[in-house]
Amino acid sequence: MVESLFPSIENTGESSRRKKPRISETAEAEIEARRVNEESLKRWKTNRVQQIYACKLVEALRRVRQRSSTTSNNETDKLVSGAAREIRDTADRVLAASARGTTRWSRAILASRVRAKLKKHRKAKKSTGNCKSRKGLTETNRIKLPAVERKLKILGRLVPGCRKVSVPNLLDEATDYIAALEMQVQAMEALAELLTAAAPRTTLTGT
Amino acid sequence: MLEGLVSQESLSLNSMDMSVLERLKWVQQQQQQLQQVVSQSSNNSPELLQILQFHGSNNDELLQSSFSQFQMFGSGFGPNYNMGFGPPHEAMDECISRTSSCHMEPVDTIEVLLKTGEENRAIALKNKRKPEVKTREEEKIEKKIKVEAETESSIKGKSNMRNTEASSDTSKETSKGASEIQKLDYIHVRARRGQATDRHSLAERARREKISKKMKYLQDIVPGCNKVTGKAGMLDEIINYVQCLQRQVEFLSMKLAVLNPELELAVEDVSVKQFQAYFTNVAASKQSIMVDVPLFPLDQQGSLDLSAINPNQTTSIEAPSTSWETQSQSLYNTSSLGFQY
Repeated sequence: MVESLFPSIENTGESSRRKKPRISETAEAEIEARRVNEESLKRWKTNRVQQIYACKLVEALRRVRQRSSTTSNNETDKLVSGAAREIRDTADRVLAASARGTTRWSRAILASRVRAKLKKHRKAKKSTGNCKSRKGLTETNRIKLPAVERKLKILGRLVPGCRKVSVPNLLDEATDYIAALEMQVQAMEALAELLTAAAPRTTLTGT
Repeated sequence: MLEGLVSQESLSLNSMDMSVLERLKWVQQQQQQLQQVVSQSSNNSPELLQILQFHGSNNDELLQSSFSQFQMFGSGFGPNYNMGFGPPHEAMDECISRTSSCHMEPVDTIEVLLKTGEENRAIALKNKRKPEVKTREEEKIEKKIKVEAETESSIKGKSNMRNTEASSDTSKETSKGASEIQKLDYIHVRARRGQATDRHSLAERARREKISKKMKYLQDIVPGCNKVTGKAGMLDEIINYVQCLQRQVEFLSMKLAVLNPELELAVEDVSVKQFQAYFTNVAASKQSIMVDVPLFPLDQQGSLDLSAINPNQTTSIEAPSTSWETQSQSLYNTSSLGFQY
């Protein structure tokens, strides 16, 4: 339906990225490293963006329709926030899916959904117990790390799935993640603007 | 005299068990010899000084001619010298395969040093850099040979990767003493003047340069990172930016949650061109907005060609139930007061 609007454009940069070897011991390692960074910046700015938008459109649509049909009319605020959370999760997932599993954060996002579904079936008490023990550990082991390392840890917490990742990999992941987030924000803004433009007209015609 | 000295020490150089002291001694001797030789020849040839002061020009032909002149004056080296300077031109451009071999023949050691010295100078000239004082170059050569011996004797796996990256990183820099030496198998690390050349510091340096290179990429992509110097400040900016982006996503998702009912009706409005046009507009104006007001960027974007949007083509995919529609419309009305500024 919507996909027919967008021709499936295969990103040439991405296919060449797949050919990139994992471990390179020659002088090409430097060239590869540079290419990785440049590609991660470029690939989030291509036509694939529109494919992402199309998928997001369809999915968020279905999801919200399902949820709003089941929930009642009273909880208006909760509905909005719940729907917002869902849409955000959906958007993140579609973003991660579009990364084609090449980056760590994308795999973490996709995996977290599975984990969240499993946790739902478990009791809530267990999770709180784990949290407490984790907090106690951090209190006792408080050693002042140097500023840079502290900030690197914070960055690791921000990028999904990159808490215990080495520094150069973390920086790579952060680069790709930032590029992807920028693209996501642009897509959602575009979508929102188009909808706000269309909305007044539809409400006018509806009522 | 020179050859004798050379032959003695070069043999010891071949054996990998040579201690550091011995190596140092040998290298110092070579240095002295080189100095003598060069001073001798410089007394004879003003062209050598000319070459040494030659900078800024990338003209390979000129270099070649100057080298040939130098050959004529290097009478003390006999026929071997020509061989050494046969292809300086190619050596400048491609891999220096000469340095791969462990074995340094006694007669050719000085040649090697000279040749590498010349090549270093040539590469330096090619890089448009003022040629260093002779001693500095020789010290570089000394360290290069040291490192060569080390790398060739060590395990090739990890150290090669590190050396690869280290030298490839140093080759990008314009700092003194950094020149690109590529090989088929592995790459020699070029230690700069006054820096340690043991394995650990080399590895550390390679790692640090990798990290700084990646930070530079991040600096390019994060707006406002250019003003801050130092890793901590840059990391602050990066963290701030990521948090901004995530907050934006949340806000936009909330907005979309509200607007979702209209999604179905308006879905056919979107065409490829409109979306692309929107993207270019957004991308152009995005950078300036992001830094100042992260939370509500939409309010500042006045330049949207909404006129291009054609709302007439509305097709209902599934007929929404009336109750659901009224509910969502009420939602929209109530929340629109909060969102619009």
